[in-house]
Amino acid sequence: MTWTDRYLATVLRSIPEAKRADVEQELRSLIEDGIEERVGAGEDGVAAERGVLESLGDPAQLAAAYTGQPAYLVGPDLFPLYRRFVPRLIAVAVPIAGIVMMAVKLAGGGDPVEALTAGISGAINIGIQIAFWATVTFVFLEWAGPARQARSEIVAATGRWTLERLPKLASGRISVGETAGEVVTVLITMGIFVFVATLRTSDASGVEVPLLDSTFTSVWLPILLALIALRGYSHVLAYNAGRWTTKLAAYHALVHVTFAIPVVVVALSNQLVNRQFAELIGWSGLADGRQPVMLAIAVTTILATGWEIFRVVARARRASDAAPRLDTSPRSA
Amino acid sequence: MDEDELLGTHRQELRRGTVVLACLLALREPGYGYALLKKLEAAGITSDGNTVYPLLRRLEDRGLLESEWNTDESRPRKFYRATKAGAELASQLLADVSDLTASLHSLNGRS
Repeated sequence: MTWTDRYLATVLRSIPEAKRADVEQELRSLIEDGIEERVGAGEDGVAAERGVLESLGDPAQLAAAYTGQPAYLVGPDLFPLYRRFVPRLIAVAVPIAGIVMMAVKLAGGGDPVEALTAGISGAINIGIQIAFWATVTFVFLEWAGPARQARSEIVAATGRWTLERLPKLASGRISVGETAGEVVTVLITMGIFVFVATLRTSDASGVEVPLLDSTFTSVWLPILLALIALRGYSHVLAYNAGRWTTKLAAYHALVHVTFAIPVVVVALSNQLVNRQFAELIGWSGLADGRQPVMLAIAVTTILATGWEIFRVVARARRASDAAPRLDTSPRSA
Repeated sequence: MDEDELLGTHRQELRRGTVVLACLLALREPGYGYALLKKLEAAGITSDGNTVYPLLRRLEDRGLLESEWNTDESRPRKFYRATKAGAELASQLLADVSDLTASLHSLNGRS
């Protein structure tokens, strides 16, 4: 078994059966021609063989050149579609999967922390699964002979680029009105929190019983109010910068997540509404983390947080895409 | 990337498109892979076996070359020759290359 035999065997593995004998015979004689010349020039036989085979290069690549098989997983025809399609699919499916899995866990009697963990790990899992299977599908379209027709149809239907596909040149520049609106929203939200904290009823002996759990009011409420204020502050920072920069968007997202986590955990672990209050008004399910009201608060908080982060990150991306040509320079102080 | 490398990359790019034409022109006389490689090299067109050998097959599949095994000599060799279609394509491409060269020179002259 010579190097040449091994080299040829490796090349031929990927050559269709019908052509194998012919390619082998031709390549072998070409290799021998090469060796002969090198030996004629004074090289010794072993070194000559090595030199010829190494100059022919990777047998897999040579075989690919013979068969015309692509030397890539997803080619330039399909890649733009892949780039557009897969991230969007993941962006839609991952939050849905996370929420569904969390809900299933809660409905099955799991505690909130368990449910949150299940939701997050479920979301990550689905993301990986989708990325994998979508990639497999694209590779199949690229490689499989029978799929070639389908591929050319898909490329023809989706790949033809028209002017309408140009992204909008929304500058991402933030207006005064918009910022004012955000600040007012923040103030109103803070007002609602404070107002809800003042709600109370009285029991038979006339003692006042607040709606909110006392630990929540004394520990979490001030923190949450501060976080809401920070949200407003990041809108002001964005206005000053002229646009949502990546850094500001990350800061804004962090504030939102820091706000959402305690709200969700507190709501789901029966620590938001005062149990005594719920019993007094004859609706004991109100305080229960597995009953509709607290679940709705948790889910709404997660969705709203996700949406706000998505919105701001999208704007930051648009602004940074547009930055080179559009007026998004920082406002002068 | 230093300057030599840059030049090398662009040269390779420039030559890639001309290998087909060179093979078709050279194979108006029958020839086998290794001899063709030497012939191209002698003409100043350096290319590698791993480019040229598979290329010959693909050109044959497209009907631009035809092949025949020659077993007269000590080593059996596959000889290729340009078909009529191949020769015609070669003349066409050669004319295009001349036009292109002229165009480039005229651009060069004007600047």
